[in-house]
Amino acid sequence: MLKIEAVSKRFRAGNYGVRDVSLELKSGVIGLLGPNGAGKTTLLQMLATVTRPTSGRITFGGVDIVARPNELRRKLGYLPQDFGVYDNLTALEFLTYFAALKGVHGKQRVVEMLETVNLHTVANRSLGGFSGGMKQRLGIAQALINDPVFVIVDEPTAGLDPEERVRFRNVLSEIGFGKLVILSTHIVSDIESIATEIAVMKEGALLTMAAPETLLRGAAGHVWQSVVSSEEFDRLRTTLKISSAIRKPDGVHIRFVGPAAAISATPVEPEMEDAFLYLMNFGDTAARVA
Amino acid sequence: MNDSLQRIAAIVRADFLLRFRRPSTLIVFLLLSAFAYLWIPAPSTGRALIQINGHRAIYNSGAIGMGTASLGMMFVGLFGYYVISNAIRRDIVSRCGVIAASTPMRSGEYLLGKFLGNLTFLATFLAGFMLSSMAMLIVRGEAPIEPIVFVQQYLLLTPAAIIFVSAVAVLFESIPFLAGKIGDVLYFFFWMTFLGLAVGDQVSGGKMNWARCLDFSGFGFMIDQMTRTLHTDSVSIGASEFDPTKTPILFPGLTLQPEWIFPRIISMLLPLLFLPLAGLFFHRFDPVRTGRTSDKTNRKWIGKIQSLFKPLSRRAVMMLMPLARGQSFLAAIWADAVLTLTLYPLVMVAFVGITIATISGAPQDGLLPIVFAGLAIVVSDVSTRDRRAGTIAILHGAPRLREYFVWWKLGSALVLSIILCLAPILRSALDGLFATAALLVGIVFVSALGTALGVMTTNAKTFIVVFLSFWYVVVNDHGATPTLDFAGFYDRGTSQTTFLYASLSIAALTAAQLFHRWKLARA
Repeated sequence: MLKIEAVSKRFRAGNYGVRDVSLELKSGVIGLLGPNGAGKTTLLQMLATVTRPTSGRITFGGVDIVARPNELRRKLGYLPQDFGVYDNLTALEFLTYFAALKGVHGKQRVVEMLETVNLHTVANRSLGGFSGGMKQRLGIAQALINDPVFVIVDEPTAGLDPEERVRFRNVLSEIGFGKLVILSTHIVSDIESIATEIAVMKEGALLTMAAPETLLRGAAGHVWQSVVSSEEFDRLRTTLKISSAIRKPDGVHIRFVGPAAAISATPVEPEMEDAFLYLMNFGDTAARVA
Repeated sequence: MNDSLQRIAAIVRADFLLRFRRPSTLIVFLLLSAFAYLWIPAPSTGRALIQINGHRAIYNSGAIGMGTASLGMMFVGLFGYYVISNAIRRDIVSRCGVIAASTPMRSGEYLLGKFLGNLTFLATFLAGFMLSSMAMLIVRGEAPIEPIVFVQQYLLLTPAAIIFVSAVAVLFESIPFLAGKIGDVLYFFFWMTFLGLAVGDQVSGGKMNWARCLDFSGFGFMIDQMTRTLHTDSVSIGASEFDPTKTPILFPGLTLQPEWIFPRIISMLLPLLFLPLAGLFFHRFDPVRTGRTSDKTNRKWIGKIQSLFKPLSRRAVMMLMPLARGQSFLAAIWADAVLTLTLYPLVMVAFVGITIATISGAPQDGLLPIVFAGLAIVVSDVSTRDRRAGTIAILHGAPRLREYFVWWKLGSALVLSIILCLAPILRSALDGLFATAALLVGIVFVSALGTALGVMTTNAKTFIVVFLSFWYVVVNDHGATPTLDFAGFYDRGTSQTTFLYASLSIAALTAAQLFHRWKLARA
């Protein structure tokens, strides 16, 4: 469906936003994971035909989308990072506007989408009074209004409360069937339950792309658990890559990742957060395994 | 309707709704209507809308229609640009533009939609102004209303200006280099150049006939028609003094002479050439070209200039900052003023420039108008920047700032204004206590109006447009009307003038405080 071949984006200052990324994606929900500044947004902007790569090739269904962007735009739904709204418009007016830009005719589809994202009861309310979660739901509604086969959502859960995040995840997993959905985030829990594959980026480059189970297998044998004193924890914080720490009466229960246990610890089954931390810090080894 | 037309119509509709739902639109409209009221004084005051060789023109549809249409044309030409030149920027900031760029919408459709959106807004705005001006005929008219004659004046004078401004706004917004303040400044000279050409054609006695096709303002056409109809070039429009002993003249209004048909049509069509030009430069919301990436080379030129003067402002801030320490309300005011100096080092450069110019004896009537124009730009930012930056919630968490936001911003604007005008204030003291009082009231007026409009509309441009319109009238009046000499630029203000502007300042602040409290109560 989507093929990215040696794509790079170089800025005028000479630094790279994305460097030599190659990927081949079929339908399903793809999680794009990476820390802030990893190049996720730049890559997605190139896929959304908003900016051009400085080198490389992107094809969708065999069509070069850099040369013929409109071929993809008709089938694309895009929700950018830090998505804003026009405060003086109502939800209905806002969605009608984007429906028109996408060539969607009739009010029926707009009303349907408002119902899908549960905003139909506030359809005529000014967007200035919407919460962050409501705005994000409206954002996903505009992305889906043209019934796209390729959906790009960039950091959609930033700033949402836990309930809204779960709701948003559910909407995405529902729409993922038969479509290609790329969901970018730096929050592991956003994608671990819904992604069929996870691509991990760091400093503009693609570290790995694999199924969640494969990533977990890659971290197997490299995740440890131990109970340490508070004083010891303060010291270890700077030397170990700790993925979680919980204070309990018997001490601080820590989970950490690394090629080998640096302190006395028990090996444990990796979770996605551990696998991500391991990839970020010991990426070369982990990617080889994946 | 096909997809293309549907997209264009959607852009026009969205822009229309967004603009007409803004409180700033209503404020500007009411103020423009108030200007119409001032421009058409009752003849019993010794002033009239049109004065011809000392005669006044009778208030009929032709005279009032032409007079107010020319006022509307000046508004559209000079300030309409500043009102509409944020259509593309709004899409960049909200990131809705990025979404639009990922749709099948063509760049040409988007630009045409924005152009038609600008056009619709300005035309509707002027149509509303025309109707309110027609109402003036009922109040002060000396002849029955002739709607066709009235509308004809607007149709002959304003369409080219509306098309020109709408197209230039799209062009300038499409070129990242011109999309900001440099475009704002350049536009003023752009408009003035074409205005000068139109006048030049008339002064040269028709030797620059080609300039008629560039008469976007309709000013050349108006002068030519009035000269022909009235057989004189001594005409003034807008609350002008006349000789009550001379018989009033009947001015039938402008008509389209055959030799003007072609130039008027061309002047409406020529600005359309800016649209394909805009298409060549349009960034289509590419984050690299709009500067919305982490790439630091994208900083705008003004930012680069500001950073050049950072060392100067840093030293000044280091000296001033100790006064901002503490929990008092005054410390908070001082801190906000110092923040302006930190954000805009050019304010420090302006302070140095004003001080040097004052010491070197630059005439007050030349220097002060420039100082106040600069002051307006600084003050407009103070009460609006927090909402733009999204820091309102943080500020509301600080002691007293939530309830006393208006007074806090007023204090900050006053501190900055007094710092900037320190040298002129000291110099005015040499001219006497009244000159100092007039200047101080002028400063308070600008600070109060800037704060009030900023708080009520959350948009810096409202105050800039309103104040610069007023400033333009004041500077052109050059002290002829003591009531307009609000800050003693021309030493013509009286104690009534000072009282008037002090009262207006209090009224503006009261309105802003009531509005702010209402907003807090609703939150």
